[in-house]
Amino acid sequence: MKSYVAPLYLLVFLPAVVFLYNIVPKKLRPVVLLLASYLFFWSISGKLILFLLISTFSIHHFGLWLSSLQEERNRILAETERPERKAVKAEYIRRQRWVIFLAVCIHIGTLLVLKYTAFFGQNLNSLLALAGVDWTWKIPKMVMPIGISFYTMQAMSYILDVYRETLKPDKNIGRLALYMAFFPSMMEGPICRYNDDAVSLWEGRRSSVQNLVFGAERILYGVMKKMVIADRLNIMIKTLYSGYADYDGGMMVVAAIAYTCQLYMEFSGTMDVVIGSAELFGIVLPENFKRPFFSKSISEFWTRWHITLGTWFRDYIFYPISMSKPMKRLTSKARKKIGNHFGPLIAGSIALFVVWLFNGLWHGAGWHYICFGMYHFVLIASANAVEPYTKKFLEKLHIRREEGGYKCFRIVRTALLVCIGELIFRADSLRIAMRMLKKMFTDFTFRSFTDGTLLNLGMDKHDFLIVAVSVLIVLVISIANERGICIRQKLAEKKVVVRWAVVYGLILFCIIFGAYGMNYTPVDPIYAGF
Amino acid sequence: MKRYLKTALRFILFCVIFMVILMLLSKVFVPKDNQKSAGMEAVQSNGILGEPDNTMDYLVVGDSETYSSITPMEIWRQYGYTGYVCGTGGQHLYDTERFLAQALKKQSPKYVILETNALYRKTAYEKVLKSQLEKYFQIFRYHDRWKSLTLNDFTGSVNYTWTNDYKGYRYENKVVPAALKDYMKQTDQKAKISAINQYYVEQMIKLCRKNNVELILVSTPSIKNWNYAKHNGIQALADQYGLEYYDLNLMPDQVKIDWKKDTRDKGDHLNHTGAVQVSDWLGAFFHSKNTLTDHRQETAYSQWNDALGRYDQQIADGTAYEISHCKK
Amino acid sequence: MMKEQIIEILEDIQPEADYETCQTLIDDHILTSLDVLSLVAELEDEFDVTIPTVEIIPSNFNSVDAIAAMVERLQEEG
Repeated sequence: MKSYVAPLYLLVFLPAVVFLYNIVPKKLRPVVLLLASYLFFWSISGKLILFLLISTFSIHHFGLWLSSLQEERNRILAETERPERKAVKAEYIRRQRWVIFLAVCIHIGTLLVLKYTAFFGQNLNSLLALAGVDWTWKIPKMVMPIGISFYTMQAMSYILDVYRETLKPDKNIGRLALYMAFFPSMMEGPICRYNDDAVSLWEGRRSSVQNLVFGAERILYGVMKKMVIADRLNIMIKTLYSGYADYDGGMMVVAAIAYTCQLYMEFSGTMDVVIGSAELFGIVLPENFKRPFFSKSISEFWTRWHITLGTWFRDYIFYPISMSKPMKRLTSKARKKIGNHFGPLIAGSIALFVVWLFNGLWHGAGWHYICFGMYHFVLIASANAVEPYTKKFLEKLHIRREEGGYKCFRIVRTALLVCIGELIFRADSLRIAMRMLKKMFTDFTFRSFTDGTLLNLGMDKHDFLIVAVSVLIVLVISIANERGICIRQKLAEKKVVVRWAVVYGLILFCIIFGAYGMNYTPVDPIYAGF
Repeated sequence: MKRYLKTALRFILFCVIFMVILMLLSKVFVPKDNQKSAGMEAVQSNGILGEPDNTMDYLVVGDSETYSSITPMEIWRQYGYTGYVCGTGGQHLYDTERFLAQALKKQSPKYVILETNALYRKTAYEKVLKSQLEKYFQIFRYHDRWKSLTLNDFTGSVNYTWTNDYKGYRYENKVVPAALKDYMKQTDQKAKISAINQYYVEQMIKLCRKNNVELILVSTPSIKNWNYAKHNGIQALADQYGLEYYDLNLMPDQVKIDWKKDTRDKGDHLNHTGAVQVSDWLGAFFHSKNTLTDHRQETAYSQWNDALGRYDQQIADGTAYEISHCKK
Repeated sequence: MMKEQIIEILEDIQPEADYETCQTLIDDHILTSLDVLSLVAELEDEFDVTIPTVEIIPSNFNSVDAIAAMVERLQEEG
């Protein structure tokens, strides 16, 4: 099972699990989910499931350790006088910090070693070569258990919440295990929080007809996005990015836009399948996308794209850094010197920088990923910095930001900026990304659109037509969603004939226009590699 | 309970109607002829569909080793036996079984040669599932024809009219010599045939028995792909099912392959000179069985003589590669 | 008293919102993360409290009432 859109998953595994889940008694339902999740993991990564099991076991015990320290502290505090309380609290914070440090080292350490050794090694060897040293380090080959980036972040959020005492650690290791391993969110997220999202995992609710129908419809929608759009663009995108030197600037623009489209369709489509899968069991997973291309600014974009990653970085990196004592002191001093807007901006930008450095690196071990992170950092930080001037400027011209032409301009501008970022993201290396961008500006021409080159990249007239029609369908549905309309709900209110016709239509649309079979190369799940 | 029953019945009805829709659509999307222009895939191998019924003496199935190593026209030239190579590149056994079943519907050969390289190809369960889906609902295989559907697809019926002179063989005269090595060093090791592949071999054996066809295992020469362990694995299989097995890699005196001249890609596949030698051996092998008839004087088989003429002409004037690979 | 002071601070940071009625300042992204930073700095100054990271959760900042409640609680805890 290589992806959630594989027939083995959709037609065999998932229905089997849904069936089993519903025929066992309530208490056993979470067990069914846990066993299915381990089977899923094992079928992809085999023996590497050991990593997941050790992570689960260790995080469980770290959580209990922290909790016992906290209880001990509370007992002692109850018996201490007011003046000594501060010292006791400080002592226990110190002890808990050691536990957290240990937990983070083990988990993040594992992730770092497995994911970044090769990157570190390549750079080390380059440096050594530059310095004229004769020796190169033979980089050991690392294994990568599936979903390690995702379940590590969930584990970290669990242990940090226990540390902050916003969460009581679970005495039941089975529940924690299911939280870490739940098969729909294993490969590409969404990244769940124990407090908010985990509860429905073990409620063991029976699947209602609505769960099954709505879930299946959502899965179908996701399959369409991936199979009809993302997979169909694949050959052209591979051609453009690996053979970029043969094409002009106009084609580079096509490369940027096409890849952004493919990435969105593949990732959000997978999320539809994943969230739809969970819905079959009556389980609610958090959304990862909220019509990101309707964003009016890059800041807003990141509250609508890969939402759970963004909130994780916000809650566990951005706020902890910007609210730390040294940063707060910096902010107070700065506010006195440069005012209330620019003062907090310094600490904020430092925290933002760290977030984007990690965000870039999280996506992959490569300089172009770091560059991608820095690109967005610069866009957001600079927008924040000039905010008061922008406001004055727009007021002078009597332009209202949230309406009409200017709003359109902002949406288009944001989308284009995102496309440029995604080109950097997808390019095979930083150097190539820079070359491709340079071409876009220095060698821009419409020639390739009319001389037949565009139709020679792996997509013919029919392919472009179908992609256009499908993107239009997604656009219409997105506009409806943005207005708060739930399409599945509306559909459920129609007569049987209409409902069945729509569902048949959607399935047949995927079967006929899906880019699978002899003439195509499907995209590998892009985010599963992170 | 009653509510669940009602929902379950509705769901079953939904599925049944859906399958009917798929069957109707499959009828529309299936290519109505077997040329490339009609949307048929693997036309070199599917040319057999256009051959007159019950005219084949033998069939060859397997992967790219088949169409690189066996040229039926040579066997026709020397003995007047008719045969077709239904192999495709990188073929998995579920496709081999499918080609065989398809061919046996209209043909009644005495022998089927199963080239053994395909038996060691790794087949994932996922692919098997896909091939089963495609088998029952052809729309999954031909869905891409939406780009080229014509009125005839909706109203016409299937009528295979095309065949190719090379009878499935793909001519290549490129010479890329292989590095010589003793690749058939004797060993007791036995290469393992996966459970899925074993299953499909059994299915093919059953199919052949039902159709009164003798299934024979043959390993064509390949310095890159073959070794003694694989030989042992096939020999065990042959013993288990009582099949004849001929490993040409162990018969250098009968099939004298010169690895410096007879391969087109460093020993992975033979080229034309190699194929002629293998075909000569195969023809002589059939001849020794004394069961096949020489059709060279029969009027019903005159197209084979015509084809032989074109075959020789095209090899001489250099167009054999393009035509046998159906490049148009 | 406190409510009015808080609304004044908020208007200064992000004037384009209706702080009297809005209950979803964070959930609807009316206040960005940077706005929250500025807000916390001002609140700490104005009401002489320390707002630790643990308190930076939507339920504490989604409405003026929630903010006021948090500040009062922190003042008491001392």
